[in-house]
This record gives sequence, structure tokens and C-alpha cells, in this order.
Amino acid sequence: MTVAAGIGYALLALGPSLSLFVAVISHKPFLILTVLSSTLVWLMSLIVLAGLWRAFLPIKTTSSAWLPYSILLLTSVVFQEGLRLLFWRVYKKLEDILDGFADRVSKPRLFLTDKMQIALAGGLGHGVAHAVFFCLSLLTPAFGPATFYVEKCSQMPFFLVSSIIALAFVTIHTFSMVIAFNGYAEGNRVDQLIVPVVHLIAGMLTLVNLVSGGCIIGIPLLYCMAVFTLLHCGKMVWKRLMETRNRQGNL
Amino acid sequence: MESGDGSILESIGSEIIGVMSPVSICMLLVVLLVYSLTTTSSSTYSAVRTAANLVYLESPADTPTEKLEGALLNALVFVILIALVTFLLVLLYYYRCTNFLKHYTRFSAFFVLSFMGGPIFLTIIQHFNIPVDSITCFILLVNFSILGVLSVFSNGVPILIRQSYMVALGIIVAAWFTRLPEWTTWVLLVALALYDLVAVLAPGGPLKILVELASTREEDLPALVYEARPTTGTNVSGSQGRSSLAGLLVAGMSQNGGGDGSNDRGVELQAVPSSSRTNNGNYWNEGASKRGHLVIHMDNEEEEEEVEVVRDDQEETSPLMARNSRERLGSPVMSGTSNNGNRQMNEIPIVEITRPDRERDGDEMIEAMNGRGIKLGLGDFVFYSVLVGRAAMYDLMTVYACYLAIISGLGCTLILLAVCRHALPALPISIALGVMFYFLTRLLMEPFVVGTSANLMMF
Repeated sequence: MTVAAGIGYALLALGPSLSLFVAVISHKPFLILTVLSSTLVWLMSLIVLAGLWRAFLPIKTTSSAWLPYSILLLTSVVFQEGLRLLFWRVYKKLEDILDGFADRVSKPRLFLTDKMQIALAGGLGHGVAHAVFFCLSLLTPAFGPATFYVEKCSQMPFFLVSSIIALAFVTIHTFSMVIAFNGYAEGNRVDQLIVPVVHLIAGMLTLVNLVSGGCIIGIPLLYCMAVFTLLHCGKMVWKRLMETRNRQGNL
Repeated sequence: MESGDGSILESIGSEIIGVMSPVSICMLLVVLLVYSLTTTSSSTYSAVRTAANLVYLESPADTPTEKLEGALLNALVFVILIALVTFLLVLLYYYRCTNFLKHYTRFSAFFVLSFMGGPIFLTIIQHFNIPVDSITCFILLVNFSILGVLSVFSNGVPILIRQSYMVALGIIVAAWFTRLPEWTTWVLLVALALYDLVAVLAPGGPLKILVELASTREEDLPALVYEARPTTGTNVSGSQGRSSLAGLLVAGMSQNGGGDGSNDRGVELQAVPSSSRTNNGNYWNEGASKRGHLVIHMDNEEEEEEVEVVRDDQEETSPLMARNSRERLGSPVMSGTSNNGNRQMNEIPIVEITRPDRERDGDEMIEAMNGRGIKLGLGDFVFYSVLVGRAAMYDLMTVYACYLAIISGLGCTLILLAVCRHALPALPISIALGVMFYFLTRLLMEPFVVGTSANLMMF
């Protein structure tokens, strides 16, 4: 269609992240750096995955295409969740350095909210990278004078579908990082496991799009996962904040 | 809880952001320029003969080997030219021909802004059908150029304007460089990164000599450099952070320093006539074969506690978009004293670059005198943007990948800078990462991502 449509699609996918960035991240240089580095990590994971799968592409979209695609999604999710563990290790070291530094300049150590903000920034980096590479980079033709429909999902323009899906994934990525970091820090098994499971289910739900007209069912299910992640994250953060507040009150 | 009470997250890394944000803005504008202009009039841009393709003019019909050979020759000639001119300028600086250098640079800045910027503005006006008559356009262009020349040289111009003009110069030159043919661009970028490495690090390298010369003479580096130095004035987030302490210190400085900071600096300038701000066009040769100053240069003055304190405070309170908040007020104080102070290149690890809290712990501030202005050569702006602009001609995906690679390379360079404690070339790491990511994205990632997401598979 036109420039307006292109910008609209881009904002649909990235608008919430943008407002999150402006509201929370942009005041704190360190968080911006976290976002950038986590975006880079995600990009590198994508390049590694692409390198692994380069030989097998393109997969023919026949009726039995769901099998290779599900393997592809499985490997990708497993790889990225492994990377999340690595990210956590690095973050743990960084936290020690930061705390040590805070002691040296006699400033308060990292607050709980600070840690959560770092996790949020890391997750936002992952989410933004996802949206940028899977949605925004295909959006170039949307700025032109036409639009594009895929056969399997003929109800909506392709760009609209992909930005809606990207929005769901941005939400999942952003907040599952908070859940995961909290789970690692607390040693909470449920939180540690829920993140890869949610990611895997969300990835597998996109397989529904292979069926003709599947996006009508797949997208609402995907949004259920996104809302679930959001609610779980909110509940968990609320609980922890209440705990710390009570603890401080008792002191 | 986390914002009001000085968590260290707010202070760490603001210098890095202070350098990264103008670079990002420059790259973004170049990408927009390339994107909006090349789609319509790509044919008219072909076959521009500049110093960068003196030997070989690439044509699409040539075989890859011919292109590669020609591009290598082009890059070789260009780098040799740059090296010669740089040595010449260093020689001139060595013999203190600063007046000549000053006028020469003045001329080249004017040339870039008017004669190279002009066509770009014309293209923009034509492309977007902006209703401007030629006389108005001419007057605007002349005003723009004159203000640019003034801002590059004089000290009376707000630093925000000077920084904006630095970015504008970078954009204009980069936009011209993106008109070079593809192979030549890539080979040229790699060759320049290598040249940068040699010129800054090797003993006897021209830029190394220049930096050392400038620091032994206790002058500013005579160059078109972007100074991410912190200033006081209106801060984005910290109007309350312009606290009593900082205000007190600024006042104290102006008392001690014999009047206003700018007077102070003016005295410095007269004492060292025309050399402290020479901006010898090290970075710009004439017209077509412009190039950049390829040095990242960080200076750190340890002598003056008070100034450092002021600086610390200011730096902390100018977060992400620090450029917006720059004002003139503080910088004369700092540069005036930085001319007094020896330029000691000592840095601490980057994680420790932090400014102590605003108003509460003043003693800490005085102890942690880590204030610094990171300086980034204009050439780095130019060639980063050239890379991204070239990537923009392929696809948006490569643009994002190259942007991330360049920014992370810049981050790595800054961290190295904190470790190595002397001037470092800013191009090699970034260009290497950028080129690598460009080709990885183009060859590996694009089929993968397009293949999956065209089928609405995501993960």
C-alpha cells in the first residue's frame, strides 16, 4: 500500500516495545547497552541456526512439510533456550561486577527492581530482534504501492499477519526473560521450565499456519500464550515486590 | 525506589551512549537518504569519478575477477593518497603551519557543506517536490554552510550546533560515498580499516604522530572530531540534578579561573594562537577524495579535581540523548582547563566509568575523577554510515545486522580504549564485524528467515 501502511505495520509489531523502551529503558544507559547486546546475541543465534539449516533450505511446501518445519522450530527453540542459560551466566558475572563497583563508589547495590529491569532489557532485546528480523525486514514491499497475500492465510495481508504474530512473540520473549531470570535466581523449577515450554508451544502453534486458513485459529492460540506469559510475569513480579516490601517493613 | 535514589544503572555507560547515539543518528539518516533517493534515481548516480575510483570504473558487465582487481587497485590508490596527504598535514602541523591548516580546513568544510551538500539538498527537494524557489534555496544553503564553517572553528558556537554539524558533515560525505560502485566500496572499507589500524597503532603512523604531537603540545587534537563531552545546562532528566553542588562548583570555577569559563578559554586561545583549535584538515582532503579522521581519542585530565567533579556531575545527568542536552555553559570551563592539564591517557575499565551520584556524596566525586570526553573522528562516522548505506541498498535485514555489528564493534573499541589507555583506531573492529555480518546475513540468514517467515513460521 503506502508509507502509512508500512509504518502502521511496523508500529503494530514494535509499538509496545517502543513505548516500553522510551518509558523504562531510555533513561538508563546501561539498560540501553543491555538491549543492544541482547539483540546482538539473538542475531548471532539466528545466524548460527541459519548456517546449520542452510543446506536443507528451502523446504518445499508440500502437504508433509510440517515435519521438517517442526524439526526446524524444535532445534531453534532448544538452541535459543540454551543461549538463554548462557546469557544468565554472563548476567550473573555482570551483576557481581556491578555490585562490587557500587560498593566502591558507596552507592546502593542493585535493587530488586534494577535486576528485573536488566532482565526486562535483555528480554526486550530478544523480542525486538525477533520482530526486526522476522517482520520488519520483510516489510519493505509494504511501503510500496501494493500489498501481498499468502495463499494459506488469504483473509489478511501477509504483512498484517506477520506483524500480529511478531507482536505476540515480542511479548513472549520480553517477559519470559524476566520470568526466567527470576526463576534462575530463586531456583524456582517451575519458572525455569515454564519459559522453554511456552516458547516451544508458541513456536509449534505457528505450524498451524501451514494449514490453509490455519492462521484464524493459530493466532488466537498464540495470543493466549502471550497473555499467559504476561499474566504469569506480572503475578510473579508482584509477589516478589510484595515479599521485599514486607521484609523491609519488618526490618 | 530505583530511579530517585541513585541506582548505579543510571550512571554506568553514559559515555558510550553519548558516542553511540550520534553515530546511530548519522547512520539512520544516511540509510533514510539512501533508501528514499536510490529507489527513484539510481541510474543517474552511476559512474561518478572521484579519488576513490581513479583507476578503475566499475561497470556491471565486468567479470568478478576484473571487478575485484579494479576495486583493489582503487582502494590501494585511495589509501596511498590518504596516507600522503595525512603525512603532509602532520608535517605542516609539526612545523606549526597552523594558519594554513586552519584556512585549508575552513575551505574544505565549506566545500563539503555547500558543493557536496547542495546537490544532495537539490535531490531531496526534487524528490519530495518541496516548493522552494532557487534564490531562497541558494540563500539557505549559503547560510547553512557559513554557520557550519563558523561552528567547526570558533568557540562561541553552542556545542550542540557543532555536534550537529559534525553529524551533518558525516552524512553528506557518506551519502556521496554510497554512490561508489559496490565492489569498490567493500574493498575500500576493508582497506581503510587496515590503514586505520596501521596509522594509529604502528610506530611512525601519521595519526599516532599527530595524536602524540597534540598531546605533548597540550592542545586539542587538531581535527574534525566529534566531541562527546558533557556539558552543563538543560539536562534531559536532571533539572533537579543541576544541584547545589554542581552550581556551586561551576560558580567556584568561574571565580577561581578568573571570570567566566569562556574568557578563560579565550585566553588560552590567544596564548597559543590559532593552534589549539586548528582542525587541520587532516580529515578532509580536497573535495572528492574526502576522508576521515580515523582516530578515536579519549582524553582524561586528572589534574583539576573541581572541574572533573563538575564534569562528572554533568555527564551523569545527560543520559541517552545527551546531544540534545548539550549546551555551551559548561564546556568552556572544561576545555579551558583541559588545555592546562596534561592530557593523560589513563582510563579505567569501562564498567567503572561512572559518575558518582549527583548531589549527595561530593567527596566521592572528587575522588573519582574519571571525567573524560570521548572523541570520535568524523571519518568513523562517515565510513560506518557508508557501510550501512551500502547495506541499505540490498535489504533492510542487512541494515539491521550491520548496524548491530558496527555498534557492538564500537562498544568493543570503547572497552579496549578503557583498557589500553591510548588512542585507538575505531574502524577496524567495527568494519570487520560489519562486513562479516553483512555477508553472513546475505548468504546464510536471508534464505532461512525469508523461508520460514514467508510461511508464517516464527519462533
